[in-house]
Amino acid sequence: MPKLKILLLTLISSLILLSSLFFGQNTINPFDLRGAEKDILFSIRLPRVIVAFLMGSALGVSGAVLQGMLRNPLADPYILGISSGAALAAAFGLVTGSYLFGQLSIPFSAFFGASVVSVLVGAFGWKKGRLLPERLLLAGVGLSFLFYALLMLLISMSSYEGVRRTMLWIFGDLSLADWSLIPYGLVFIIAGMYISVCRSKALNALMLGDDLAHSLGFSAHRERLLFFISVALMTSASVSLGGTIGFIGLLVPHIVRFIIGADNRIVIPVCAVSGGAFLCGADLIGRSIAPPMEIPSGIITAVIGSPYFLYLLRKRDVLGT
Amino acid sequence: MSSEHNQTILELAGTGFRYSGNKPLIKDLTFSVGNGEFIGLLGANGSGKSTILKLAGGILKPSDGHINLWGKQLGSYSNKDRAKLLCYLPQLLDMNIPFKVGELVSMGLYPYDIPPEISVDDALALVGLLDKSGSYLANLSGGERRRAFIAMTLLQGAGLLLLDEPLANLDIKYQLEIHRLLKDLKDTKNISVIMALHDINMALQFKKVMLIKEGKILGIGEPENVLKRELLKEAFDVDIEVRKQNGGGTWLSYGESS
Repeated sequence: MPKLKILLLTLISSLILLSSLFFGQNTINPFDLRGAEKDILFSIRLPRVIVAFLMGSALGVSGAVLQGMLRNPLADPYILGISSGAALAAAFGLVTGSYLFGQLSIPFSAFFGASVVSVLVGAFGWKKGRLLPERLLLAGVGLSFLFYALLMLLISMSSYEGVRRTMLWIFGDLSLADWSLIPYGLVFIIAGMYISVCRSKALNALMLGDDLAHSLGFSAHRERLLFFISVALMTSASVSLGGTIGFIGLLVPHIVRFIIGADNRIVIPVCAVSGGAFLCGADLIGRSIAPPMEIPSGIITAVIGSPYFLYLLRKRDVLGT
Repeated sequence: MSSEHNQTILELAGTGFRYSGNKPLIKDLTFSVGNGEFIGLLGANGSGKSTILKLAGGILKPSDGHINLWGKQLGSYSNKDRAKLLCYLPQLLDMNIPFKVGELVSMGLYPYDIPPEISVDDALALVGLLDKSGSYLANLSGGERRRAFIAMTLLQGAGLLLLDEPLANLDIKYQLEIHRLLKDLKDTKNISVIMALHDINMALQFKKVMLIKEGKILGIGEPENVLKRELLKEAFDVDIEVRKQNGGGTWLSYGESS
């Protein structure tokens, strides 16, 4: 049966992807492309859909990996504080209007902020030559508070326009998406996913506990470090592409496990596809409800996703049957 | 020592262990495990049973002395190669593992690039869980969950099983069931087992027991010779005596009541 479910999920995901290409403020007929519509499709819609898909995939996979490696169902890519660093750095750019690298300056500063925090969290979580899960989580939470406080300080001192743009970015602003962003995001996200997919057996073993993972022939410390690097790459790239979109990293992995089980060799690829499609769908809704105004995707993902998650939670025992 | 066909699998010589800067937990430990041997490791809480098993499993590195597996230093094996030779099951098995029984058991194949001839269903049949393959671990009873993990180690095919209190918190029925299962496996597959225990009654079922106190061996050998009043008093700080009934059964008598 899992094969059928995976096929169905892939099918639904593809449908969402296609819809988000051709629907929106203007409906585009793919069989009758004319000048303006072709322009909209190739220079606005397509890059936007690709960016949304990349971000969603990266968040879905990061969440699945983190929940496994930390053995904590509440872990998500943002709990490590990576998003807070990205948000602070991006907000600094948005508020001060200092565009050092031209058009790419917000993504670059967000990526810079995310990388700095990743290294800091890793350093605080490191003791006796290994990453300790509890330390990693607490370090992430602690650093988040610090960076969000600095972010609030920055916001409280800035102009109305700066505040508005920063808030939009924090909830996920895909309107910035264009082709120039995609190669950078793609490289880091593919690298991170490659590590996670290759080590998915090790992730299964880590979920049994460090001693059992060792008994099965894995070095728990080495695997956890690799997964941390993988998550840091994916999350940093994702937030730098279009802001800190919540919900996907926390709940998509849970929903995927509800449907297809916990084996990470399947969970990781399915999270990549469904996380990506989910964000594309949320973006489609966000830009279709009240055009030309766009509702940030982060709000849509939470508004749609949370009730569905709660429904699943009630319907099933988390652990099956 | 009645070890006529014995081939040494695991050998600890002068092994000691301490966490850096702390008092030693294990001191000058010397013993060996022969092929097909079944050893009960008995001691009070905190006597160092778990530490000994973790040292033998390569999870902890000895601070002094050395540990050899098949004549080669344990630390020199790669993780995968070691996993094919020995297997460690911790005392506490997480209840919240989200896998199905079949999924868990199949993880026993992870150390292998080319899977051995035994299949997941074979391993499940050996522990009597074939019909539970599709059930979630969380929905099994304590005894069944323990057997599922044992099935995983069987699939892993290691010749030496290090089991930390595999019978703890189980009903007597399951205790006997798992004990019998392991003995059968020893006979059919010639595996060796070191099993930590703190139940003296259970230790009487073993051919060889090792009594531990404060990280040192108080006695090693057949239970009749090791589980004596003086040694038990020293190990558990209680006056206990193992008595034989006329029918052949054994029972424990406690000092307070005699």
